[in-house]
Amino acid sequence: MFSQSGLNTSGTFGVSAVNTSSTNPMKDFEVTSPPDDSVSALAFSPATLPQNFLIAGSWDNNVRCWEVEQSGKTIPKSMQTMQGPILDVCWSDDGTKVFMASCDKMVKCWDLASNQTIQVAQHDAPVKTCHWIKAPNYSCLMTASWDKTLKFWDTRNAQPMLTINLPERCYCADVDYPMAVVGTASRGLIIYQLEGRPQEFKRVDSPLKYQHRCVAIFRDKKKQPIGFALGSVEGRVAIQYVSPQNPKDNFTFKCHRSNGAPGGYQDIYAVNDIAFHPVHGTLATVGSDGTFSFWDKDARTKLKPSEVMEQAITKCAFSHNGQIFAYAVSYDWAKGHEFYNPMKKNYIFLRPCFEDLKPRATS
Amino acid sequence: MGRKKKKQSKPWCWYCNREFEDEKILIQHQKAKHFKCHICHKKLYTGPGLSIHCMQVHKEAIDKVPNSLSTRSNIEIEIYGMEGIPPEDLKEHEKQKQGKHGRAASPSSGEDEPPTKKKASEGVGSSVGMVPAQMQPFPPIAPPIMGPMGPMPFMSPGMGMMGPGGPMPGGPPTMSAPHLQNKPLFPSAAAIASTANTTPTTNDFKSVTSTAPIGPVKPTFPAYRFSTGGGQGASASANSDPQKVPLINLLGGSSKIIHPPEDISLEEIKARLPKYQVSSGGIAADESVSSPALSNSSQANTPQSQTTVEVSLRRFLILI
Repeated sequence: MFSQSGLNTSGTFGVSAVNTSSTNPMKDFEVTSPPDDSVSALAFSPATLPQNFLIAGSWDNNVRCWEVEQSGKTIPKSMQTMQGPILDVCWSDDGTKVFMASCDKMVKCWDLASNQTIQVAQHDAPVKTCHWIKAPNYSCLMTASWDKTLKFWDTRNAQPMLTINLPERCYCADVDYPMAVVGTASRGLIIYQLEGRPQEFKRVDSPLKYQHRCVAIFRDKKKQPIGFALGSVEGRVAIQYVSPQNPKDNFTFKCHRSNGAPGGYQDIYAVNDIAFHPVHGTLATVGSDGTFSFWDKDARTKLKPSEVMEQAITKCAFSHNGQIFAYAVSYDWAKGHEFYNPMKKNYIFLRPCFEDLKPRATS
Repeated sequence: MGRKKKKQSKPWCWYCNREFEDEKILIQHQKAKHFKCHICHKKLYTGPGLSIHCMQVHKEAIDKVPNSLSTRSNIEIEIYGMEGIPPEDLKEHEKQKQGKHGRAASPSSGEDEPPTKKKASEGVGSSVGMVPAQMQPFPPIAPPIMGPMGPMPFMSPGMGMMGPGGPMPGGPPTMSAPHLQNKPLFPSAAAIASTANTTPTTNDFKSVTSTAPIGPVKPTFPAYRFSTGGGQGASASANSDPQKVPLINLLGGSSKIIHPPEDISLEEIKARLPKYQVSSGGIAADESVSSPALSNSSQANTPQSQTTVEVSLRRFLILI
């Protein structure tokens, strides 16, 4: 199933890949045997595993797993198929399992050692997100769906241990124990606290005026989750603290917009994904405009913009140690069906990013 | 004679060749159109001023004056209203004005640009409710009008041109009418030029850009009108009929959100395609053994369904 294409890479993950084609304007490492349709989810294995594995879910119903070597070389390891497009993937904390949420309304657990999958969650509509929660007194899978529910599953039981109704369809969610955030249609935004058992902590008025698209929790210096970054379709990200010490701590910034277009138009693109650097606490955003950007939210500056890719960047992820930034170039449907070209190849690129994401010295 | 001619000639914008009733409006135009920071929308006073602002405040280098003709995009030249225009360009402009059958009338000349844009903008302007008294709502514009818009270098090559309906609604509501009264320099502009006085436009422009994001979102949310596509007809009618379409891709000011008109997630729109239906096609269809139990049972989280999954998985593995 996976054929390995040659990629001449050598050295450590700090040396740029050699590829000068226009499809790879940042000259990053290209993941071999990429998905056949748009990439909908990306996740690196947790620190509990000695190697780096990358998981990608796609609209082609498959979830693929690669081993990422220090050289930048990727080795396809395995693949699982579901009955509908994949919308999210996540790892268990011990790195032995991968959860896959699909349009087929199910979430399955993929046991990597045995290469078996088993259904662990069920919704009445496609499951938009899945997150593994590891608490001292329990562990469970949180799933959120377009059926307007948020469910928590003990993976050994066919019934959810808890179901929480959402005001609207879930569009995005993130978990960083003891905090969870869910963004919904109609600009709903709810924070949950997971200590003891999951419960709603508070509903927040959205800092953004357009459809929520992605959310990522960030931590303070003590590595405790204290807020989140929320991205909307209107090229804007809000940095929001759960309990801001000063109301001015919360702010929004624009991104993924064309500038200086002839005719005075500014095209505004959706923020497709946000990821925080696990070490530096800086963040990356990727957009429908086909670029990624690195930001320092504390210094409120852009650290690095990227060149424009051939298609949108749909997802991104950092490896657990913050050495690798993965981003997926594929069509995100922002221009509708007419602009969908199934002949276009989908790419996942890997970029050595540790230096790029260092915060500004002044901050 | 010469003196008289001078008096008659209207102030014009060096960056885009547009003419204005008086220099005050020209300056407002320049501030809004050519000297406005694309990041924070602050209006600067000159090209170099904009460049310095962007460098110092946003750490972004600007190498061209926004919205300028390609030959007039020099950011270094300091022009304020009619001041600072290179004398040879002044002369050239004068010449064109007099010989109006000359270069200026040729449709291929760069001057066709501004009127075209302005035309697009009026729809937006009226729909957002700015300067309502002056702006007539115009019927959707014919697609070919995009022709002279020229290349859009900011787009990635893969995207190609937006459909004709594409960038239109984002048109700059900025300078409503350029006051081409009796002898229009640009034939195409004559049809649409409003004779109204434009003085308040610049002020309104600011309020439009700042309030528009709030305005459109609230009134209309879930209308399901256009099932696909952000391009083509959808946006055009969004212009004329803002109340019925979720206005997600309509922004006041000179911007447009690249998103299908419906205010639902891209994934939901995409998932509606037959191709992505769970029951259809591909390997998934093979697994008819398990699919009825799983996809049809809405609340069935039965242990039995898990076993069926396992069975089907065995088959997957074989397939792989």
